[in-house]
Amino acid sequence: MAIATYSSAEQYNFDIVKKFAIMALVWAVVGMSVGVYIASELAWPFLNFDSPYFSFGRFRPVHTSAVIFGFGGSALFATSYYVVQRTCQTRLALEGMASFTFWGWQAVIVLAALSYLMGYSQGREYAEMEWPIDILVEAVWVSYLLVFVGTIMRRKQPHIYVANWFYLAFILATALLHTFNNLAMPINLFSMKSYSLFSGTQDAMTQWWYGHNAVGFFLTAAFLGMMYYFVPKQAGRPIYSYRLSIVHFWALSFMYMWVGAHHLHWTALPDWTSTLAATFSILLLMPSWGGMINGIMTLSGAWDKLRTDPVMRFLIVALSFYGMSTFEGPMMSLKEVNALSHYTDWPVGHVHSGALGWVAMISFGSLYHMIPKLWDAKLYSTKLVEAHFWLATIGILLYIIAMWISGITQGLMGRATDEFGNLQYSFVESVAAMMPFYMMRAIGGAFFLTGVLLMVYNIYKTIRLAKLEEAALEARLASKMVNVGA
Amino acid sequence: MSEHNLQSQTVQTTGHAWDGDLQEFNNPLPTWWVFTFYVTIVFSIVYWFIYPSWPIGKGFLAGLSSISYVNKAGETVSTHWNTRALLMEGLNKTDEMQKPYFSKVAANDFSQIAKDPELSGFVLSAGKVLFTDNCAPCHQQGGQGKVGFFPNLTDDDWLYGGSFEKIHQSITGGRHGYMPAFGEVLNAAEIDALANYVASLSGIAHDSGKAASGKTLFTSETAACYYCHSASGAGRQDLGAPNLTDKIWLWANVPAAEKPEDKVAAIRSTIAAGVNKGVMPAWGGRLSPEQIKVLTVYVHELGGGK
Repeated sequence: MAIATYSSAEQYNFDIVKKFAIMALVWAVVGMSVGVYIASELAWPFLNFDSPYFSFGRFRPVHTSAVIFGFGGSALFATSYYVVQRTCQTRLALEGMASFTFWGWQAVIVLAALSYLMGYSQGREYAEMEWPIDILVEAVWVSYLLVFVGTIMRRKQPHIYVANWFYLAFILATALLHTFNNLAMPINLFSMKSYSLFSGTQDAMTQWWYGHNAVGFFLTAAFLGMMYYFVPKQAGRPIYSYRLSIVHFWALSFMYMWVGAHHLHWTALPDWTSTLAATFSILLLMPSWGGMINGIMTLSGAWDKLRTDPVMRFLIVALSFYGMSTFEGPMMSLKEVNALSHYTDWPVGHVHSGALGWVAMISFGSLYHMIPKLWDAKLYSTKLVEAHFWLATIGILLYIIAMWISGITQGLMGRATDEFGNLQYSFVESVAAMMPFYMMRAIGGAFFLTGVLLMVYNIYKTIRLAKLEEAALEARLASKMVNVGA
Repeated sequence: MSEHNLQSQTVQTTGHAWDGDLQEFNNPLPTWWVFTFYVTIVFSIVYWFIYPSWPIGKGFLAGLSSISYVNKAGETVSTHWNTRALLMEGLNKTDEMQKPYFSKVAANDFSQIAKDPELSGFVLSAGKVLFTDNCAPCHQQGGQGKVGFFPNLTDDDWLYGGSFEKIHQSITGGRHGYMPAFGEVLNAAEIDALANYVASLSGIAHDSGKAASGKTLFTSETAACYYCHSASGAGRQDLGAPNLTDKIWLWANVPAAEKPEDKVAAIRSTIAAGVNKGVMPAWGGRLSPEQIKVLTVYVHELGGGK
């Protein structure tokens, strides 16, 4: 293994992977800090400071973009470039273009955040970026596709490993979603503002076709790609079932595209469209679980690792949260359940059980596995990983339990009627009832953020020690050379 | 579990290996997984038959469940399940439930409604919803209003009168509070004198010399404050002119000022700039007569009704 890593340093382009891995951590800290801040704004509204620049409305897309595209996106770039090289046994294709994906993507996140703070937004959830930034995203994404496909084409392996199918599906679907959801006409060439080509219900439908498939392909398929490499690697066991991976890959890819309209139940959307979205969400349950089964069953025969290896625990608990939220989602997409859950905090809790529990946990596990390999070092402290794991788990539980209670309370308060058939509560009364849960959520978020800070410290020490060791080694080598020379 | 391990070990891998040790078993699909997948398919097919589902040509499969409701024209409509019909059905139910109460509201006068325990219970319930939807954006959820903008409805100080009839009139026809800007007709010293006099009326610390000349101005034909506020400063409810002697303020934000000179300054600026923002819309055409009647009793019972 040591020999393989040594030779792989030249065989593979790890420089780009390292850059993206570091930026994933940077954006995790930025995005989650903003998240904790806006959660606190809801609990303690004075934090808005009556200033537009501090308002929830402008900070919220900063939070979502920094965590989804900054943290999640950088983690995906890093791991996909790592995995595709290692499983194709070849160096990254089109390295200049790969470098452009790094700088371009970081520019996208910075520009997006600044533009939101200045008040520019398309008003499309998870696609708030205005048209000039959208064009940059498009350029980066096409480059990403070329680099990825180019690398697969020069593979030295006859078969394409399953992780790469998922990564490729994610890249292709995201290109499609991004392009069509952002079709817009700018006011003029020098204006940031633009208007969508769609209007009314079609506009809403396009937005949620994008919105839900961003969840499906960006936050699910791509991270399943991550899972398919790092879980068997960390466990030292083969993937449980190749057959299951094929079936659930195609089922997942096919079903996801239909379900976006379940975000628009009980609206102007035609009822038949929303019925189809509900049923395809139900049909999606087992294909989603296929990934969880394949991941968790991979560990069979090595269950003891859950006790001894906190990195493994991150990966497996991530899969458990994945299983839980992919069960919760289809339930919430049924018309009758949705009538209670929609427009409440419940979906917020649902999204975060997926985002914190699945996306972030699987990324932490993968980064803890990958970063020592990249720098050819040992992880500085396993104890800190352990502490990170518990902080993250407690944080998620506080967060989602708070949102479950507050969401269901809101839903029930919203429909409660008295003996005369009149609504019992006004909206503002439901807001007042949420306050304790908003505090609980902010505290949960703070736990999660603290865990990430431990991780950053741990990784910083790991890399620093690796560099010191390398320097010491080189110094010794150099002195030997001098001795030999003399 | 150990049995399962043995089984896994007998299962063949696909024979490929990536990145050194990365391999795949070729376990069959778990039976429960396949079975549950079939169950979700059956569930979906049933769901498609209950609700409107697949589009066919220009129409769609309407589904087996149906809803009937009474539309605005009073006709009974039977249709396949759809969101709008479901809403109508729900509204029908509530309307049916509330009909006897609303007809009692229509048949009784205000004080009878307020006295009848069952009807006043209904007014409290329906009035809260009506108030929350229509009035609370300005007068606030509890009717406490906001100094500088919207009058408090919970105290017994009324601009236009707090009787049932007057409240009913205010809601039905709306109100427009207006006071001319005296900055255009009086000089700074005169306004200052008036402000000190007005302060004196409600016991705010003031300059008594200025207040004395302010008093003369108040009842003079130059300033003519007495036209609306009356000679004593007690106001005239027929004009909506506030009582200046009762320590309750709406337009001049006197309560927010801590020092007496700031209180006088707040009065001064109201005299200079006048008031032209006290607009309450008319609800006559928007709410039904019964709803306005319910709201009238509700507002009357908020605490300050006369």
